[in-house]
Amino acid sequence: MQPGSIEQQIERHLLKVEKPGRYVGGEYNSVVKDWARADVKVALAFPDIYDLGMSNLGIMNLYHQVNQRDDMLAERVFSPWLDMEAVMREQQIPLYSLESKRPIRDFDLLGISLPYEQLYTNAINMLDLAGMPLLSRDRDESYPLVIAGGHACFNPEPMADFIDAFVIGEGEEIIVEIAAELGRLRGLRRDEQLRQIARIQGMYVPRFYDVDYRVDGTVRSVTPNQPGIPARVLKRIVLTLPKPFTKFIVPNIDTVHNRAPIEIMRGCTRGCRFCHAGMVTRPVRERPVAEIMAAIDEIVRYTGFEEISLLSLSSSDYVWVEELAEEVNRVYKDAGLSLSLPSLRIESASADLLEKIGGTRRSGFTFAPEAATEKMRDLINKYVPDDQVIQTARDVYSRGWRTIKFYFMIGHPDETLDDVQAIIDLCGRTLREGTKILGKKATLNVGVSTFIPKPHTPFQWAPQDTRESVERKQAMLKQQMRRGGMHLRWNTYDDSEFEGWLSRGDRRLSRVIRRAWELGCKFDAWQDQHKHGRWLQAFDESGINPDFYNFRERDLDEVFPWDHIDVGLRKKFLQEDYLMSIRRETRVDCRDKCFACGILPKFAKERATTEDLAWECPPVTPISERGRQRTVEIPLSAIG
Amino acid sequence: MTHLSPVVQRLRITFGKAGTLTYTSNLDMAKIWERVLRRAELPLLYTRGFNTRPRISLAMPLPLGISSDCEILDISLRERIAFCEASLRERLLAVSPQGLSIVAINEVDPRSSTMQSLIMSAEYRIRFHDPLERACLQRKIDELLGQESIIVERRRRRKRSVMDVRPLILSLEMDEHADLLAHLSVGDRGNLRPDHLLELLDMDGMHSSIHRSRLHRLPE
Repeated sequence: MQPGSIEQQIERHLLKVEKPGRYVGGEYNSVVKDWARADVKVALAFPDIYDLGMSNLGIMNLYHQVNQRDDMLAERVFSPWLDMEAVMREQQIPLYSLESKRPIRDFDLLGISLPYEQLYTNAINMLDLAGMPLLSRDRDESYPLVIAGGHACFNPEPMADFIDAFVIGEGEEIIVEIAAELGRLRGLRRDEQLRQIARIQGMYVPRFYDVDYRVDGTVRSVTPNQPGIPARVLKRIVLTLPKPFTKFIVPNIDTVHNRAPIEIMRGCTRGCRFCHAGMVTRPVRERPVAEIMAAIDEIVRYTGFEEISLLSLSSSDYVWVEELAEEVNRVYKDAGLSLSLPSLRIESASADLLEKIGGTRRSGFTFAPEAATEKMRDLINKYVPDDQVIQTARDVYSRGWRTIKFYFMIGHPDETLDDVQAIIDLCGRTLREGTKILGKKATLNVGVSTFIPKPHTPFQWAPQDTRESVERKQAMLKQQMRRGGMHLRWNTYDDSEFEGWLSRGDRRLSRVIRRAWELGCKFDAWQDQHKHGRWLQAFDESGINPDFYNFRERDLDEVFPWDHIDVGLRKKFLQEDYLMSIRRETRVDCRDKCFACGILPKFAKERATTEDLAWECPPVTPISERGRQRTVEIPLSAIG
Repeated sequence: MTHLSPVVQRLRITFGKAGTLTYTSNLDMAKIWERVLRRAELPLLYTRGFNTRPRISLAMPLPLGISSDCEILDISLRERIAFCEASLRERLLAVSPQGLSIVAINEVDPRSSTMQSLIMSAEYRIRFHDPLERACLQRKIDELLGQESIIVERRRRRKRSVMDVRPLILSLEMDEHADLLAHLSVGDRGNLRPDHLLELLDMDGMHSSIHRSRLHRLPE
């Protein structure tokens, strides 16, 4: 197709679709390079609509890394919404990039961002819209190489049939390496190209691994079927965070998070057992305050954004958080700029921090106590006593914030209705504190999500809670939490069940995903679009029992479909932590005491090149002093 | 008691919208301007309160998909800047998205009333991309203008009303390129959008592009 013709074709139809600005590009700071002069062309895809994809920091980072190179270009592509997809299919307009309006098939590399599992059907829908065969084995070297990365890819197996190669871990450096390598491999057969790509540390090429199953359906082994392919793929990390990206594309239409993010810290030392991000993003790497301040300044000048959020998994744990707040307050107090610092700990100091940082605009105050009883707090290893919750709420309300938002989690199999009642009671007490101070103006928004056991976490062995149990717990919440000043949000069980399947799924799920897509499933992250019945039908037609993935309590020595993906953690460490959870034993922040998760020895060589405290990892505790963690293996059936 | 910061200087920017930017709604256009002005480091005056906004206003909403070179933006500054149209234009264009053009910049009296209340009508040029017979277009124009009243039903927030839109067509003619030139009322006193006019002409199915070329204001 001639360049320019897609532009002309869509122009006739744009006014018939909702928010046509999603499909035209042309934004300030978007990079349109001379097509002919770039040797390697990369299309970066976020498999949801523009409004969401434009808020994704990962995509922007990669866009910047590739476009920095004179010999490469990167362009964006998002999922068209249903109305636009209908137009494109009817008019036979192929999926195209926003910058040059070139068909995706004209690119050398298609990089798909998969931060969460609900995007899988959209990802394959994009392949189809691009006019590409869905299955990796059906695509030869005449098609762009399809790679995927993002947090969901720490278990790449459900998407193994569709993706040529996965990026395991952090993408900032590797994306350019892959693109450069691909330039050198031009003209070779796809298989050969992939053999070379697989040599790049952090790249996983599913076709070079054979999966052997046991009679009971669990995995017996995953083994390379080629010489020179690593038995386990170690994730890629950057030793220190690259300078923050600041030349954000400024959208011409409103988007979900219409603001610029700056990552202040990567990784987390808290060790909450349910937290996938906390386990897979180790080690902790922090950014110096001066670098953050310089980034804020650049963002204001380059983008004109009025809102910047300072991101990390646990902002209170960022070592220089006080200093950062002081600096922000000093420089931007009256600048009409709004900064947000999410993921603060539940403590009074957080109110101080936000007051300093928030400037003229006040967003709500969000905290995640997660659980409301001692038992559940021990079990998930996130300990925040009630008094601290109440005291913090009091501090926040009395400084004039009217809204607090709490996040809780239900659905751990050992949770009882009493534990759920405690959530209701704690929220009630919190709001009463607010009412004492602010009267009826005080509000408490409560989000109660359903726990989903994730791969590479201590709960990867645990069964997911059943529909009956979760819905009973939710009914309790709904009944008692619908009152003045309190707003409750929850996940439907359909959504949680669906996420569970894909989270701990294996390669056989590729078949199910494909069938579900054929049956019309897409936009599964949108509650009103997710078609649960069709998914069940897809499982049924594929001869796979979905409950196998969600409700089994896994044996301690079970081989998981993702065991050959190495996130740097020892399986033994996760196992110990799981057993401790069952015994209700907790672990402190690992900055205070190292539990030998495995990240240090795994990256020993790399760490030797960084400063001593760069990763916030203390010296490994000698084995003799780690008696508390030595575990006796007890059969799980005895624990119940 | 807090005092309102005074408007030290008011600038009126006449600007154009073309290409991809025509798919930006009026509300989003205000946001684009806000950010352009911030990138240009102009000393904007902000509203007070928790959700502070710069004091800027667009004169007359431009419907989606329509290009223009006569849009008007008023901005209020908290500090006086040395006014030089050429350098200011350059400063703004350097930080503008594709499709935004600057036609003129004027200094206006900070106490003058906003443009929005003064605009009465707008001129549009409608170009058809599908083949069209001149005679056919002329006949349609004549038929429409020949009607004494054109009663249409309008729905606004679930309320239905009927109104006569004939008086809102101030002029309608075809030029030598077979473009349609329409002068239509805009604003609260009666508003007829050019896409609506095409419906009245039974030409809304045709591939066309619409350009707003002039805004008319009440004589002061």
